[in-house]
Amino acid sequence: MMAVMTRWWAVAVWFAAASAALASGSLSAQDGDALGQVTYERWCAGCHGLDGTGDGPGAGYMLPRPRDFTQALYQIRTTASGDLPTDDDILAIIDRGMPGTTMPGWEALLSNDEREALVQYLKTFSRFFSADEIPQPLEFSRATRSNADVLAEGERLFREVADCAACHGDGGRGDGESSPALVDDGDFPIPAADLTENWLFNGGGEAEDIYRRLLTGLDGTPMPSLADVITAGVITDEQLWAIAHYVRSLSPDNPPGITEVVRGVLFEDAPLPSSVDDEAWDEIEGAYLPLAGQIIVMPRWFHPRVDGVWVQAAHDGETVAVRVSWSDPNNSPDPEWADWKSQVIALMQPKEGDPPDEGPTPDQLVVQFPMQMPEGMERPFFLRGDNRRPVYIWQWQSDRDGALEGEARGIGTEAFLSGGQDLTVDASHADGQWQVMFTRPLVTEDENDLDFVIGEAIPMALFAWDGDNGESGTRGAVSSWYFLFLEEATPATVFVAPALAMILTAALGFLVVGRAQKRERQSGKIKSETPNS
Amino acid sequence: MGKYLKHPLGQAGVVLFLAYLLFDFGIAYIPPLFGIASAPIPNSVLLQYLITVSVGILIWVSDNEARWAEFKEPMHRVMVDPDLKTARNSLMVLIPILVALMTFSQVRPTVAAPTTLRSIHPAPPGRIDFQGTTLELGSLQNPLRSRGSMEEHYEEGKRVYYENCIACHGDGLDGQGHYAHAFSPVPVSFQDIGTIAQLTESYVFWRVAKGGPGLPNEGAPWNSAMPAWEDFLTQDEIWSVIIFLYEQAGHEPRTFEEEGGEGEVE
Amino acid sequence: MSNRFELRGVVAPTLMLLVMAGCGGGDGGGASSGGGGGAAMENPVNAATAGNIAGSIMFEGDAPSMDVIDMSSETVCADKHASPQMIQEVVVNSNGALANVFVYVKEGLESLQFPTPAAALLDQNGCVYLPHVLGVMVGQDITIRNSDGLLHNINASPTINRGFNSSQPVSMETTRSFRAAEVMVPLRCDVHGWMTAYIGVLDHPFHSVSNGSGAFSLSTLPPGEYVIEAWHERYGTQTQNVTVTTGETAEVNFTFSASMAQNAVVPLGAPVELHAIAEAS
Repeated sequence: MMAVMTRWWAVAVWFAAASAALASGSLSAQDGDALGQVTYERWCAGCHGLDGTGDGPGAGYMLPRPRDFTQALYQIRTTASGDLPTDDDILAIIDRGMPGTTMPGWEALLSNDEREALVQYLKTFSRFFSADEIPQPLEFSRATRSNADVLAEGERLFREVADCAACHGDGGRGDGESSPALVDDGDFPIPAADLTENWLFNGGGEAEDIYRRLLTGLDGTPMPSLADVITAGVITDEQLWAIAHYVRSLSPDNPPGITEVVRGVLFEDAPLPSSVDDEAWDEIEGAYLPLAGQIIVMPRWFHPRVDGVWVQAAHDGETVAVRVSWSDPNNSPDPEWADWKSQVIALMQPKEGDPPDEGPTPDQLVVQFPMQMPEGMERPFFLRGDNRRPVYIWQWQSDRDGALEGEARGIGTEAFLSGGQDLTVDASHADGQWQVMFTRPLVTEDENDLDFVIGEAIPMALFAWDGDNGESGTRGAVSSWYFLFLEEATPATVFVAPALAMILTAALGFLVVGRAQKRERQSGKIKSETPNS
Repeated sequence: MGKYLKHPLGQAGVVLFLAYLLFDFGIAYIPPLFGIASAPIPNSVLLQYLITVSVGILIWVSDNEARWAEFKEPMHRVMVDPDLKTARNSLMVLIPILVALMTFSQVRPTVAAPTTLRSIHPAPPGRIDFQGTTLELGSLQNPLRSRGSMEEHYEEGKRVYYENCIACHGDGLDGQGHYAHAFSPVPVSFQDIGTIAQLTESYVFWRVAKGGPGLPNEGAPWNSAMPAWEDFLTQDEIWSVIIFLYEQAGHEPRTFEEEGGEGEVE
Repeated sequence: MSNRFELRGVVAPTLMLLVMAGCGGGDGGGASSGGGGGAAMENPVNAATAGNIAGSIMFEGDAPSMDVIDMSSETVCADKHASPQMIQEVVVNSNGALANVFVYVKEGLESLQFPTPAAALLDQNGCVYLPHVLGVMVGQDITIRNSDGLLHNINASPTINRGFNSSQPVSMETTRSFRAAEVMVPLRCDVHGWMTAYIGVLDHPFHSVSNGSGAFSLSTLPPGEYVIEAWHERYGTQTQNVTVTTGETAEVNFTFSASMAQNAVVPLGAPVELHAIAEAS
C-alpha cells in the first residue's frame, strides 16, 4: 500500500520536474548546469572522463585512478559511512584537492561560481543524488587536548584495540600484515596510508581531519568507519580523539619545507656514527628531499612508491657518512607482495610497452654526485649525467651485501667498479622503513671518484626503487640536484672582523660622546666629567 | 605616552616601527584578506625599504630648524647629561656588541646552495633537426592552424597533455602538477603571462621537442626535468598540444611580426 | 549543446522514478542501521492453499580445486578450525552437489506485499563469514556479529543500495539493512582478503541457499506461475519456470558446469547505464 502511494508520488514529482526543466531556457538551475558542464569538460574530463566514469585520457597513468562519479562514493565526507556527501563536502574536495593523489585543488584556478556549478554537475552523474534527500553531516565533537598521556592511550588503542596496525603497521608506515592485499572499490591495489607523512593525507593532516576520517571512514577504500565501535561502547569518543592525536604525532609538527642543502655535520671530537642505527644519528637534523616518478626516458614510471627520502650527513674531516631513510612497507623481493607487484605492473606499465619478465626485483637506492667538483655552474645532467659530464654513483640494493661505486654517462650506462672499493654500507629494514648508511673517505686514491671537499656545495641527487612495487631500471623515483655541504670547522679568522668592528664602533662612540661633552663644558653648562665605560 | 608622541623623535620611532610592521607582515597578510595572493618580502628588500623610510623621516625632521633641534635634543642629552650616565654607559657597551654580532653573522661560514643564474627563455637556434627533418625555426608556423578542425586539434592536444604533461605542469596548467615539487627549477606555469603568452609557437615547439637536454648552457640544461618530447611524440602531436596550451590557458601566441630578442635572466 | 541540458533535465527525474519504482520501499536506495519497519503487516499468503518448491543444485564435471586459506597470521581463527579451510567460492560435495547457490523467486510475486522478518544473522567466526551467502528482505535487519575478537571490517559494495564499511575491532555486533532489492550485494573484509560473502536483498521472503548437499527449498508460496533464478558467484545465473499448486511441492533442479564460468554474467546489482537510459528516453 505504502509503496503504491510512493510510486504515484514519484510519478507526480517526475512530471513536475520534467515539465519545469523543459518549460523554458531561462531557469537559473539550467544556467548553473551549463556552467558546470562547460567547466567540467574543460578542466575535469581529462582525468574523470566526459561521462564521469573516471576514464579520461589521463586516468591510465594514475593510481589511485580518478574518481568514478556514477557510484557517488566520496572518500572525504562529513557524513556517515555509505552516506552521500554534502554539497560542501564535494566543494571542499574541489577546493583543496586530494593531497597524496593526482587531484589538485582548484580554489585558486576556478571562480566560486564555477566550482559551485561543478558540485551540482558532478551530482548529475549519479542516480543516488536526489533533490529531496539532503545528506546530513555527522556531529563532530570538539578536539580534546593532547598530552603525553593522551598519546600513550592513543598508541595503545591504535595497536591493541582498534588494531589500526593490521593495515597501517606498528610504526604507521603502511606496512601492516594486510597491506599487500588491499584493493579499492575499482579493485585497484591501494596502499595503506603512510601515517608518518600527514601532508599527504587525502583529507588533511591535522588531528581534526584524522578524527573525522576515523568516524566517517574513507568510502571506496578499505578504510572503515569506527562510528559503530563507539556506538557499541567499545571505545569512547574521547578515546577516538586519542587515536587521532596519536596518528597526528607520527608525522613531524610541520610538513618538511623545501631544503636544497643537506648539511654534513662536523664531528670534531665525537666519533662518526658507526652503524645505521647508531644513536648519534638522532642528533643530526635530516633534510627531506621529495622524489617523483622517472618520466623522462622510456620506459617511464608514473607510480613510484618512494615519494621522498630523509637524508642526514656527517663527517670528521677524514670520512663522510650519509644516512638515507624512507618508507617502504617491505623488504623486496617478498612473496607476500608478488600479487601486488603484478597488479601494479599490469595497471601502470602497458602504456610504455610490455615489461620484461625480470623475476624478483630488489629495493634499490642510488646516490649520485658529479665525477668532479663542477667549475662554475655547469653540472652533469641530473638524470645520470651525459657524455661530456659523467656522474659518480653509490648503488645499494636489498638483495646483496655491500654497495657499489660506479660511474655513468647517461641512464642505462652505469658501470660499477669491481675491486678496491672505499665505500661501505650498512642497511636495516624495520617497521616499514629502510635506513641505509654509506661511509667513504673524503679523498680516495681512485681517480674515478669524487673527492669530497669541505665547505662547498656538492651536487647530489637520489634515486629509489621499490622492487615489489614493480620498479627497476628506468622505472623508479628520481630527484633533481640537491647539495651536500660538509661543514667547515669555524676558522679563527672569522672572529677578527667582528672584533675589529666592535673596537671601531666603541672608539667612534667615545669620540662622539667625548666631543659632545667637551663642547658642553666649553659652553659651561655642566661640570667636568669623563665618559666612563 | 602622549608626551613622547608629540616629540619628533618619538614620532620618528613610531613611523619607523609602523613601516616595519607594514613591510614585514602587511605585504604578506593584508592582500589575501581581499583574495589577492601575496608573499613575504625578502629581508634584503625589507632593509632597503626601511632605509628609504629612514631617509624620508630625516628629511622631514631636518626640514624645520626648531624640529631638528628638538629631534636631536634627547640624543644629545644621553651623551652629555650626568644624570643619564647609566644609560650612556650601557649604550656604549651594547652598540659595539650588536655591531660585532651583525658582522659575525655576515662573515661566519654559511651552508648554502650556490646561486644559479639561468636564462628562462634563452635564444633559440636558427634551425633544429626533428626526427630527421630540418626545421627552420624562424619561419616555422603551426601547420595545424591552417588544416582540419581546431576543435579536433584541441581534443587531440588535450589527450597528449593529459597523458604526458600533467604530472609536472598540472591539470590547471599552473605548473603545480603532483611531481612539480620534486623538481628544481619548477615546471613552467602556462597561466603565467610571462611564459607562452610571450613566445611564438615555433619557440614553444623547439622547447617541447628538445626539452631540457636541448637547452643551451645559459639555460642550465643539466637541471631541467623537461623531457625531449621528440623521443615520444610526433610532430603533429606536439603542434596539437601547443594549440591546447594556448586555448586552455586563454593566451594568444606571439606572432612573427613582433618577435624581438628573447632572453631574460632569472 | 543546449539540447543536452534539456535532456539531462528529463533524465534525472526519469532515473529517480526508476529507482523509486525499483525500490519497492520507495525511498531511494540506501543502507541504514536499525529500521525494519512494516512489522505490523500481515502475511498475505494463506497457508491452507499454499504450495512449495524444492530441489537441488548439481555440478557437472570436475569441480575446480579451491586454494587453502593461509590463516597463519591469525592463530585465533586457525585454532577454531579442525582442518584447513578452503576458499568458499566453489563448494562441491563428493556427490557433485553445489552449495552456496542463491535460489529465489524472480518473477510472480509482484502484486504482493510481505511483512519484514526478524533480524538475520551474519557471523564472522574463525575468519570466515557464516553463512557465505545470505538472503534477506528489503528493510530486514542484518545483525553482523564478530565472534573472533579480532579486527574485521565489513565492506559492503552494492550497486543499487548505498554501501558501508564498518570496523569491528573486537567481539561486537552491528546492525544494518538495505533499502532496495538487489541481487547480490558483495561483502568483504579488507583485513582478511579471503573473507567474502554475498547478500541477496529481495522485496519478498522466498529465497534459499543450497546447503552442503545441494538442497534448497522455498516453502508456503501462493499457488501460481513463477520464474525461479539460481545465482552462483562464479557460474552466473539460470532461470526456470515453475507452477506451484496447493499442497504440492514442485521440484526444480539446476545444474552448473565448469564451462559456464567463461561466459558467466554474475549480477552484483544491476549496473545502471546512465547513457543507455538517456538515449532510450
